[in-house]
Amino acid sequence: MSIGKINRRGFIKACGVMAGYAVLTANMTKEAVAAAMEFVGLRQAQVYHADAKIYKIRKSQDNPMIKKLYDKKHGFLHEGPCGHMSHRLLHTDYTDRSARVSALKENGFKLKI
Amino acid sequence: MRKIEDVMYQTNAPDGVNPDNVFFVQVDATKCEACGTCEEVCATGAIQSINEDGIHQVVDTSACMNCGQCLVNCPYGAIYEGVSFVDEVFEKLRDPDTVVVSMPAPAVRYGLGECFGKPTGTYVGPQMHAALRQLGFDYIWDNEFSADVTIMEEGTELINRVKNAGKKGTLPLPQFTSCCPGWMKFVETFHPELLPHVSTCKSPIGMLGSLAKTYGAHETGTPAKKMYTVSIMPCIAKKYEGMREEMADSGYRDIDATINTRELAYMIKKAGINFNSLKGEDPDPVLGESTGAATIFGTSGGVMEAALRLAYEVLSGKKLDNPDIKVVRTHEGINSADVKVPGFGTVKVAVASGLANANKLCEEVKSGKSPYHFIEIMACPGGCVNGGGQPLDPDVLASLFKSTVARINRRFRARRPQA
Ligand code: SF4
Ligand code: SF4
Repeated sequence: MSIGKINRRGFIKACGVMAGYAVLTANMTKEAVAAAMEFVGLRQAQVYHADAKIYKIRKSQDNPMIKKLYDKKHGFLHEGPCGHMSHRLLHTDYTDRSARVSALKENGFKLKI
Repeated sequence: MRKIEDVMYQTNAPDGVNPDNVFFVQVDATKCEACGTCEEVCATGAIQSINEDGIHQVVDTSACMNCGQCLVNCPYGAIYEGVSFVDEVFEKLRDPDTVVVSMPAPAVRYGLGECFGKPTGTYVGPQMHAALRQLGFDYIWDNEFSADVTIMEEGTELINRVKNAGKKGTLPLPQFTSCCPGWMKFVETFHPELLPHVSTCKSPIGMLGSLAKTYGAHETGTPAKKMYTVSIMPCIAKKYEGMREEMADSGYRDIDATINTRELAYMIKKAGINFNSLKGEDPDPVLGESTGAATIFGTSGGVMEAALRLAYEVLSGKKLDNPDIKVVRTHEGINSADVKVPGFGTVKVAVASGLANANKLCEEVKSGKSPYHFIEIMACPGGCVNGGGQPLDPDVLASLFKSTVARINRRFRARRPQA
């Protein structure tokens, strides 16, 4: 690869290797991700604050609309959780989706997993 | 293409399309600066350099879990979303014959306010409900209600697995949670042999979609076929989940459209609603009321804590006086804890935040060395509050990283040989 032929981005990358740009990038990425996690921490703290201070009821089983839903006499899900109706509407099956990534890997794509 | 809260979106509302073939995120090659941040944050390696120039692309939809962590961390705003139902939702809201139902996730109410200048994480639940009413939604139902339903179903499933452990016909332990669609595609793709360990429960939105068009239709006397359900999520992978073929248990499509927090903010602005002057309102009854256990679904460790608030009471027969189970709250990495339940014993739990950490727990279960009963996984570090559909971190937009890289690039550019 001659430097005269490659375009700007290729050039930056080539220089990067020489000038330690790649190392700097990795460190900066770590720093940037760490900074982003501080920001996430602020959102998480607000969630726990709302749970403790704003929501009057704190357990799912105490929600009056949950009691109504599962009411043994008149409830829509009167058989209780994991009953027949629950299984029909609220539970599901999963699919094995491994074939396409296996094919990718066989075609030479390097994935992290 | 349209810019929505600093992210580009393709106006595209696919119908009857196999979501496995859709690029929910992709790189705009003309904007990519080859910095490699996306590759670093991606757990699967789906996004990588495709040429000598270091331009990145999502190489194949099958390797991408649609988590959007690459998108929220790209310092150049080079990654766009490939699916947006915004126009279709506006159209349905205008149509007098369609009954439009809102179904916002817990984490949306901790991010939406940021789009209107509020401090990071500000809780705007009641204002969000008011805004949805003003937008013209007919029923303001809430995915937090079905988070409570999820606890009843998933908690009961866990209790059954624990009580019957070792008996024939019982599903194995540990039980993995199934609320996070990025994680669900991940386990189906990379560890399908673990599927018997995954809770058979749909996620809260999967449950609310089917409940809205059956129970909700019945309770309100609304014909289910007139209903149009809008899932509102902090997430990109939820767009994939809403399109899954099997999500049709109500007899119709359970989830008609999925938008994220950024798109909801855009819709509120577009409709000319003054969000900050809204007075808070409650959601509509029956499928709207919720609890603290439901709201903590928005953070890593939350589903675990909410499930334990139920499991503790069922297994011990005693009231849990202090619902705070702080040991499971997780910010980064993997957190594990022993929870002592009187009259029962110890429940061993683990919480993993981020798919690289999830992978470690998966390998442990496969090798037969996992000591846990219950494992919660969230694809996004910190949980849904950090989802790929949330407002961007202003520090990523104007990051030290970005300015440093820009500075280096300028230096190199200045020394660039003339072509
Ligand atoms: S993070 Fe953005 S600019 Fe950097 S390589 Fe990825 S897409 Fe390109
Ligand atoms: S959306 Fe997630 S899995 Fe897909 S390329 Fe981006 S970081 Fe990787």
